[in-house]
Amino acid sequence: MNRTLTLTTALCAALSVTAGATTYPLTLTDDLGRKVTLKAEPRRIVSMLPSTSETLCALGVCDRLVGVDDYSDYPAYVTTLPKMGGLYNPNVEAIVARKPDLVLVSKYGKLEGPLTQAGITVLAVNPETYDEVFSKTLILGKIVNREAQAKALVTSMKREIAKVEILTKTAVKKPTAYYEIDPTPYSIGPNSFMGTLLTKAGARNIIPASMGDFPKVDPEFIVKQNPQLILGVDAGTVAARPGWNTITALKTGKVMDIPQELNTLLGRPGPRLPQALRGLAKLIHPELFK
Amino acid sequence: MAPAAPRPQLALPLQVAGLALLLLAAVVLGTGLGSVTVPPAEVLGALWRGLAGQELAGNDVIVWQIRLPRVVMGLLVGAGLGVCGGAFQGVFRNPLADPYLLGVASGGALGATAMIVGGGPRPLIPAAALLGALAAVSVTLLLAREGRRLPPTRLVLAGVVVGSVLSALSTALLLRGEDRAREVLAYTLGDLGFSGWREVAAVLPYVFVGAGALLLLARALDTLQLGELTARSLGVPVERLRLLVIGAASVATAGAVAYVGIIGFVGLLVPHVVRLAFGAGHRTLLPLSALLGGTLVVLADLLARTTPLSQVGIVTTLLGGPFFLWLLRRTRD
Repeated sequence: MNRTLTLTTALCAALSVTAGATTYPLTLTDDLGRKVTLKAEPRRIVSMLPSTSETLCALGVCDRLVGVDDYSDYPAYVTTLPKMGGLYNPNVEAIVARKPDLVLVSKYGKLEGPLTQAGITVLAVNPETYDEVFSKTLILGKIVNREAQAKALVTSMKREIAKVEILTKTAVKKPTAYYEIDPTPYSIGPNSFMGTLLTKAGARNIIPASMGDFPKVDPEFIVKQNPQLILGVDAGTVAARPGWNTITALKTGKVMDIPQELNTLLGRPGPRLPQALRGLAKLIHPELFK
Repeated sequence: MAPAAPRPQLALPLQVAGLALLLLAAVVLGTGLGSVTVPPAEVLGALWRGLAGQELAGNDVIVWQIRLPRVVMGLLVGAGLGVCGGAFQGVFRNPLADPYLLGVASGGALGATAMIVGGGPRPLIPAAALLGALAAVSVTLLLAREGRRLPPTRLVLAGVVVGSVLSALSTALLLRGEDRAREVLAYTLGDLGFSGWREVAAVLPYVFVGAGALLLLARALDTLQLGELTARSLGVPVERLRLLVIGAASVATAGAVAYVGIIGFVGLLVPHVVRLAFGAGHRTLLPLSALLGGTLVVLADLLARTTPLSQVGIVTTLLGGPFFLWLLRRTRD
């Protein structure tokens, strides 16, 4: 599927060299609400978000990256790039030393201040909701003058997602599910980016939208809802919790920890979203993927 | 601390009965209310079926296996912290002393943080917290020691510094394991979630031994309020008493910290309220602090479960802080 994706992207790129080129200077409002002007097409980019690194590479401008954050690890190429720290401990000096003409940051860090003072163009691009994954891909495409590729990428992502959705729609039973993202315990609301994926993967989230996007939940609420499926925690842990041994999911063996690799994918609102969805759907409905 | 001015006082049995009733009300409310409301008759039915060893289903499970142990845990921890707070304030003759003073909380937090960030098995987290808490107290005692003496000022200073250093280490660890931050945060804000009967059984001996010992030391603590010299001349072994109180309070607090994390303000606030309402004698203060501490934590947890405040430690601090300030202003002459 990856190859198809790259091929499609490349094909579209070839077809649309002239169409929809970005004109610079380009002024846009970033996720911190600042108006930022790019004087020319950025050639030396530092990406401080794993999902941004992935998107840039999917748009075919991997070679413009001169540095990435510590957590960027896909595609393999970015692991060879200099590491610039994480969200809470970014290495400002290292970033400045790479002489980037654009640094793409998360809106939660504090990089914008010192880097702007150092005369470096900073943009916060932070996909959070399901829809933003696509809108931010298009924005990144505009920024690096790869608008056509971005449109093609979004189209192919949506097509891959539709393929999974068609499968899960045919599922005879959609289990009620509790998805735990943190053992304290925190879960995901249906409107969050991960909640959207859970629904598309063919499960019925037991968390109501009114509880918020990433709510801390009362354990007795889960017991009362009695989900048919528990994701994100292993059966042993669930069984040890007071009262949880009465939950249907445990009795029927439908408690599944998310494998590390899929978990990483699910936390990356980027071009591998369809893969994340497919992985999740496979976990929930193995019978559909035989 | 100056001896409290004489004030009209109810007889002790009446006071105890009043606070016990309050605690009972808290327990009934805490067991009946939550994200699922269970009518009183059903609560009683669930209790009966649980005691009789019958099969539990639906709301019975919630009442008997989830809510009741959680309420009992809150009661235990609150009672423990209340007694420890009263004893600490007495032995240091410092109204700001609380059970976390000697680095107990920071040590527990460091142990738990190391375990959580290091990805250790969950059942070992309380053990790590307990170890951290007891190690922190030991270091504080060693640092504060002056020959065979344990001067209170040195103890408090050493405790504060040990606490700060350990907190810094916890923060450093936390920043290295960002993705576990929420779990560590939950611990440091105090959380009764997932307290089952097994956890209650694990905490019970610590609180029982620790708080029990403190109750036995109440008379000696009263004598200490007359001043160190007077106490000595009356035959109270002051240094040994100090060590005993610190040891007993640390055991009780460390046990609580290990399982439910750090629940702020209970140990500081509760003895003050009791002292203002019922007088300062430790033979009244300590048992009443246990009752009121238990009530406070059970009610705070009920609020935590049913509002977005979400964690008991947040509620106790949010309610306790302002109340304490109001009390301070009201009683200033």
